Amino acid sequence: MVSPPFREIIYTPTSRIRSPKRLLAEMWSDLWHSKDLAWRLFTRDIRSQYRSSFLGTAWAIVPAAMTAGGLAFASSAGVINVGETDIPYPAFVMLGTILWQTFLEAFKSPEQAIKASRTVLSRVKFPHEAIILSQLGQVLFNLLIKLVLLVVIFIVFKVSVGWTVLLAPFAFISLIVLGTGIGLFLVPINHLVQDVSRSMDVLLLVWFFLTPVIYPVPDNALIAFLVRLNPVTPLLVTARELTTTGVVSEPIGFWVMSLIAIATLLFGWLVFRLSIPFLVERIS
Amino acid sequence: MGSSSVGPAVSDSLPSSDSILSVQNVSKKFCRNLKRSYLYGLQDIFSEVAGLERQSDRLRDQEFWAVQNISLEVKRGESIGLVGVNGSGKSTLLRMISGLMKPDTGRIVVRGRVAALIALGAGFNPLLSGRENVFINMAILGVSRKDISDRFDDVVNFSEIWEAIDAPVRTYSSGMRARLGFACAIYTQPDVLLLDEVLAVGDAMFRAKCYRRLAEMREQGTSFFLVSHNSNAVLNLCNTAVFLQKGQMILHDTAEQVISRYEEALLDYKADANKGAAAAVTAKGDSTLATELTIDKVFFIDKTGAPIDALKSGASASICICCSVQEPIDDAIVIVMIRELNSGTDCVLHISSERDKQPLPLSSGSAEIRLNLPYCGLSPNLYVMKITVARRPFYVFDMVESFRFEVRKSKNMNQCQFYQPREWQLHTAEPAPCEPVSADVS
Repeated sequence: MVSPPFREIIYTPTSRIRSPKRLLAEMWSDLWHSKDLAWRLFTRDIRSQYRSSFLGTAWAIVPAAMTAGGLAFASSAGVINVGETDIPYPAFVMLGTILWQTFLEAFKSPEQAIKASRTVLSRVKFPHEAIILSQLGQVLFNLLIKLVLLVVIFIVFKVSVGWTVLLAPFAFISLIVLGTGIGLFLVPINHLVQDVSRSMDVLLLVWFFLTPVIYPVPDNALIAFLVRLNPVTPLLVTARELTTTGVVSEPIGFWVMSLIAIATLLFGWLVFRLSIPFLVERIS
Repeated sequence: MGSSSVGPAVSDSLPSSDSILSVQNVSKKFCRNLKRSYLYGLQDIFSEVAGLERQSDRLRDQEFWAVQNISLEVKRGESIGLVGVNGSGKSTLLRMISGLMKPDTGRIVVRGRVAALIALGAGFNPLLSGRENVFINMAILGVSRKDISDRFDDVVNFSEIWEAIDAPVRTYSSGMRARLGFACAIYTQPDVLLLDEVLAVGDAMFRAKCYRRLAEMREQGTSFFLVSHNSNAVLNLCNTAVFLQKGQMILHDTAEQVISRYEEALLDYKADANKGAAAAVTAKGDSTLATELTIDKVFFIDKTGAPIDALKSGASASICICCSVQEPIDDAIVIVMIRELNSGTDCVLHISSERDKQPLPLSSGSAEIRLNLPYCGLSPNLYVMKITVARRPFYVFDMVESFRFEVRKSKNMNQCQFYQPREWQLHTAEPAPCEPVSADVS
């Protein structure tokens, strides 16, 4: 929509991927032009969310705090046994939950974005990157609030933090990038095949248990194998290590996975972009 | 199949340089079966991402053409109307032009800034204030932050919700929301404005205001692409029009031609809606429209100049339209449309001073415009008359929406659809020059 006068736009049935140069130029220009709109949408969503709730920003913390609290209690009562952790278990669980939830929110953000702007999508042409960016803004916003809680927990349990905490944001971002990339890639399937979106909650639960969120990376043969196959593991573990001990156990895994995450994001973006016109036909 | 579509031909070559919008052999297919349509969606997305040929020009199982082989061109400053019954593909075409969907065949070339008014206030968040929503809505419509700030006052003035602009939109009435949405859309200042039935909202006063604003935009060179069921809207705003039926272009011609054809077709669909209601002879109370001219009174007089309360078939009479004119108008147009009260929406008589090439210069003060009918050709019945005073490009000064009147019997009119003025003569052996009848029934 942000077109200077006389710019010629041509719509044809041919796949846009056949003129990759133009497609990439369009993607870049839309991304650039959507930043203003994304900011507006982001502030709109944040404002309207907190204007209609009394607890306000607390909602960003409550789920993570409850999960962590419950698990810490279960662990201290001896109901579950997760083995040795580098830091006190409540802090460990809190950090893990925050990381996992951030990944999850990023993963769900494209679907959320489309659900929230269904009507606009089917009626107005605008750079669709904006809705994704604004959702990511929310993910980051929620993360910042949760980190405040984390700082409190760390102080309470006297967890010392190394200088590597300064590098931790990179790992956090890699997690978000991976989540968003997979989420974007799944947009068409999620919206066109109901079965996939329905089974998503179950799949995510399984995925949660296969990720070292509430337990450290295990040594046990089978589960350890599965956990290591999990693409989230190296990113989450590295983020946790950078934040706490500063000793990165799997630097290569982290780098490889980060690169894969970036590639996933780019590919997911492409799929998302190309599939929107087809989705608009069917979701309006 | 499209070979039968008539009207101004659009060549297959590149659109001429002053065309702002060119639609070339465009088709779109849909699938009625939901599950299949999702499946086809996945298929199409896969081909799109993989860069394969998706053979979109062929129908798959259970698919149909929603729009088929449409070609048209809109030049800068020109406007085009799109009429057709529900499901004839109007909105689909509009959505393809606005870039929301990909065409399945052909191509669409747009030169300039397009704004689509497909839904008013899409994206309004009910929890936020009107002010916040204006900024967001206009940002979605592609207006930069600075331009929004510059135009904000105009938007609020136009939508007339000064006092409520800081209240949450949830507290607005639907009319207020529509007004704000319309104002936002209109101040995006596009080159082409796509309008999809959005003018059906709001009260008569606001609608009139919208039409006037649209007329102003037309004068400034904005093109319109108007989808409407409202014949008047199309006649007023568009030079040409397209009649779509089942996705195919039936007729592409001047707005008048297309509308009359469309209304003919509509007769098959519409049942009579205008029943009941007592006949009020002198109408007019609310002056809702422009300030330049208002219609004060409409009445009939007979040939002696005495007011009468009904017309008589075959008798002469005049329709008097009394107006107060505030500023001199040198090119007023009066349009009189008469419909039968009880038989649907077809117009039996459409008289326009413009078509009759009758200039009506009005100086300020009060004026009485008379439409003399040497013979009233209407058959005895109840009728509704709509009187519009306007100027070109269509700008309505005032109108009388429905003036009900009766036409009474003067002679035996059994088995007659209308009154035919006539004379009888008997020719004897010596031929006399035949005197033609001077008057005619329009």
